[in-house]
Amino acid sequence: MSAGRERRLRAVPATAATPGAPATGADELADLLVQSGRGDAEAFERLYDRLAGSVHGLALRIVRDPQIAEDVAQEALVEVWRQAARYRPGRGSARAWVLTIAHRRAVDRVRSEQAHADRLMVHGPRHAPDLDDQDAVIDQMHAEWQAARVRQGLEQLTALQREALELTYYKGYTNRQLADSLGIPLGTAKARIRDALIRLRDGWEVTT
Amino acid sequence: MTENVHGLLGAYAVDAVTPEERAAFEEHLPACEECALELGSLLETAATLGAAEAATPPASLRASVMEQVGRTAQLPPVGGDDALVAQAPASRERERDARAPRRRVWPRLAVAAASAIALVSVGIAGGSILADREADLALEKDVMMVASAPDAHSLDLALGAAHLVMSEKMHSVAAMGDDCPTPKDGMEYQLWVVMEDGSKHAGPTFMPDDDGTFMALMDMEMEGAVAIAVTEEPMGGSDQPTSTEVAVVDL
Repeated sequence: MSAGRERRLRAVPATAATPGAPATGADELADLLVQSGRGDAEAFERLYDRLAGSVHGLALRIVRDPQIAEDVAQEALVEVWRQAARYRPGRGSARAWVLTIAHRRAVDRVRSEQAHADRLMVHGPRHAPDLDDQDAVIDQMHAEWQAARVRQGLEQLTALQREALELTYYKGYTNRQLADSLGIPLGTAKARIRDALIRLRDGWEVTT
Repeated sequence: MTENVHGLLGAYAVDAVTPEERAAFEEHLPACEECALELGSLLETAATLGAAEAATPPASLRASVMEQVGRTAQLPPVGGDDALVAQAPASRERERDARAPRRRVWPRLAVAAASAIALVSVGIAGGSILADREADLALEKDVMMVASAPDAHSLDLALGAAHLVMSEKMHSVAAMGDDCPTPKDGMEYQLWVVMEDGSKHAGPTFMPDDDGTFMALMDMEMEGAVAIAVTEEPMGGSDQPTSTEVAVVDL
């Protein structure tokens, strides 16, 4: 395990250009977020105009329901304002910081809806694998992914890696639910998620 | 344990973790330069996926956000160097609300059973880190309500150093303690109400913290109940016990 870790692990200075991050405008976003953290409402409005589309689109992709997506986007953006003073530019891009909040919020919502459904449905599998649907889902994913770099990155993944990201990042499965639904060991599930991200990251680094 | 926490890196980057796993990883993170560096790059990678989903938001969103921002206080900066990832406490609080049935409010009595209060403070002192703080507070508040009920009484629970606090008036039983052993991989604990006729009613599941601290709360009718039992069940819990009890408290 540790040998594999060492080989895959590459230290990337947090201040270096980040893979996939926009080459221009990243510093400006960071400035806007820092200023927002000092209570500058005007800076926050400009930050909103730059990132609300991504926040809302990501929420919509995960929760599906437009009304819930709007609620999630609103909660996430207000949370960005609330926590803005805790953002550290040296630790990563403003975009990643904001989208991390949005993603977590969307996934939390999906899971609480799932927990509610589970309570109603006493019997039956808790997380039924819907592998028949996988091809359609991946097709749809591809149709939705407009950025060519993202598409290319995903094409570099194995089908299993894509599936792992689809079920976790886009559907909110935990690593354990991923393992259970695919019938694979927990360690395999965790490694697969990480390998998929690393391959995406490295692919984008090469092409940008 | 460290190895396990390391292994959560990728899952953590895409939020494919339970609240317990998230807390464990965030506790580990400030002490692990390797994880911190790699996590940074994986979060950027995930954000690139997220940004590709960009869609024009409804026009109403901007006004709603700005209106709410106008009446939302900002958190102060945190000290230290551990603020790699933002917390999202408010949504976790809502999640708990969605999971836990709405509890009836019971008037807090000024004079409560001293033993019960002492038990509760054990649970609070053993509390968790920032990520789970608000959700825990909601649970602790509910447990405090049970413990401060006029008819609250406590019973030993053989699960580390643990107790049950029961209140018939509150129709509730709280379980809490320290030094609780960690369940087998893939399992968590579940509470059961054992009835006179031998039937068992499923209660909530719970997991001890890394230091073995846990707290759980169950609604129940005391009439006809003869015991409270604890079993290990697969994550998510079961409808009926699938293993023998690890602890039983006769009522």
